Amino acid sequence: MSRKIPDSEYEKTLSYKLKSWLDGTKDAFVGTVEMKPQPDFCEDEETLIKREKEKKQRKERVYDIANNIEINIFKKFYSVFCVAFCLFLVTMLLIAVSYLPSYGHPENPVNNEVSERYIESGLQETGAVNIVTGMILDYRAFDTLGESHVLFIATCTVLILLRRDRKKDEWGNDIDIEVNDRIYEPKNDLILQTAARVLVPPIIIFGIYVILGGHLGPGGGFSGGAIIGAGLILYLNAFGFKKTERFFKEKTYKIMSVCALGCYCLAKSYSFYTGANHIESVIPLGTPGAILSSGLILILNICVGIVVAGTMYTFYVMFRKGGY
Amino acid sequence: MQTGIQALDYAYRYLFIAVLIALAIMVILCLIYAIKGPRIADRIVATNMMGTIVMVIIAILAVMLNEGYLVDICIIYAMISFLAVIVLTKVYMGVYREKNEKENKGEEKLS
Amino acid sequence: MEIVEWLRFIVGAALMICGLIIFIIEIVGVFRFKYVLNRMHAAAMGDTLGIGLSLLGLIIISGLNFTSFKLLCVIVFLWFSSPTSSHLIARLEVATDEEREKHYEIKALDDIKNEKENKGN
Repeated sequence: MSRKIPDSEYEKTLSYKLKSWLDGTKDAFVGTVEMKPQPDFCEDEETLIKREKEKKQRKERVYDIANNIEINIFKKFYSVFCVAFCLFLVTMLLIAVSYLPSYGHPENPVNNEVSERYIESGLQETGAVNIVTGMILDYRAFDTLGESHVLFIATCTVLILLRRDRKKDEWGNDIDIEVNDRIYEPKNDLILQTAARVLVPPIIIFGIYVILGGHLGPGGGFSGGAIIGAGLILYLNAFGFKKTERFFKEKTYKIMSVCALGCYCLAKSYSFYTGANHIESVIPLGTPGAILSSGLILILNICVGIVVAGTMYTFYVMFRKGGY
Repeated sequence: MQTGIQALDYAYRYLFIAVLIALAIMVILCLIYAIKGPRIADRIVATNMMGTIVMVIIAILAVMLNEGYLVDICIIYAMISFLAVIVLTKVYMGVYREKNEKENKGEEKLS
Repeated sequence: MEIVEWLRFIVGAALMICGLIIFIIEIVGVFRFKYVLNRMHAAAMGDTLGIGLSLLGLIIISGLNFTSFKLLCVIVFLWFSSPTSSHLIARLEVATDEEREKHYEIKALDDIKNEKENKGN
């Protein structure tokens, strides 16, 4: 409950003194010594003209490409150096290739007991019918965690590089000065909107099907997440940014990906804690072939899918608009 | 009895291979059209056509090799080619209009 | 039993070859027509009829199972997506064409109505 008090009374309060002290109009604790605010900096016309002239001259000197010695030297050496660098890379790769063992030889180091073990006892140990999923999300889950983090870090980098701050006018309203081609593109296309209204829900359901069936057949978190991201991009193209901002903002993305990555870490931490030794887990593996089987693989698939979907959508939005 | 079923298998295989070869030739023709087409819309139409033919190829392979999951890829292909057409048309139209606007402004300033 | 299998093969093969013929007509049309908006007639035919016939043949060959259901999903998806993408491409062409008088003429809606009335009379 706040109520307005008259000015004469307000001037006696401590908060007014503090405010006036902060503003610099009067020092409340020293006494009546007044502090004047600094006058605004203004320069006379001569210096202004001089400065502009210097600026112009500097610009001319820098952009005068024909007579700029540094640029000419750079141009000459650039073509030489890029050819030399390419040749260097090619020779290095060729030398590396010459040391590789011949393709398909039975005594190659690729054909060792690791792949045999995966094929023979993969179904028993992981419970996943799809051996590839069992490999990437059970034997090598640490690797997949790194991949998800790479996606997250890539999104963070794109956010830092491409994000544009909103400009605000004196009253705190957003000024939408858009300089890119997005304002010219067609909006509110009724035919596209009708098609998107019919097609977006099945696409997202199909993506969820691919994610959930990751351990039963081909699919999994990465491909399913990409499909969901494609559905979101289709919705965004049909209805514009205002409608998607209702449910997908920067905050949503942050919460989603951090929760998914944290959930992944927590779910696999028992394995990481023991040095990825693959000890027996508490979670039952279930019957192979059922949806609720193969232990933690389903949860890990969902986590990876959420991260990938968010990354796809964020990349598109960043390159198209530069902000949510 | 046994020979009849074997003959059926052979017939299926030859049918599928013949259709696949014909479709592959068509994909090459589509590529030629995409390179030749004078306008941007030509090229987008060509990519769309290529997507359709590749979808049929994937579906035939799924039935021929008896691997049902390949049809999933077919659905994803349809989706992605649709999305590609939408995004390409939108972005190209925006870029074209922006360029036009800038040229108009420049002419006004000159005059 | 064998006869039914052969019958299924013949029907499926006939449908697939019909689809193939539609695709051939599509390619021929694309190369014969002179302008994009004309070519799109030919290109849209393969998107709906060609792939529809081919996949219908595949459905009949593979029988009723989950694969054929997914093939049906592809056909239904293309029925929705192909007209939409055709519309978008046509609008792109109309919006960015700089020599439109050369390629086609634009009529106002009133002119078309007047013409119809004149014909009726």
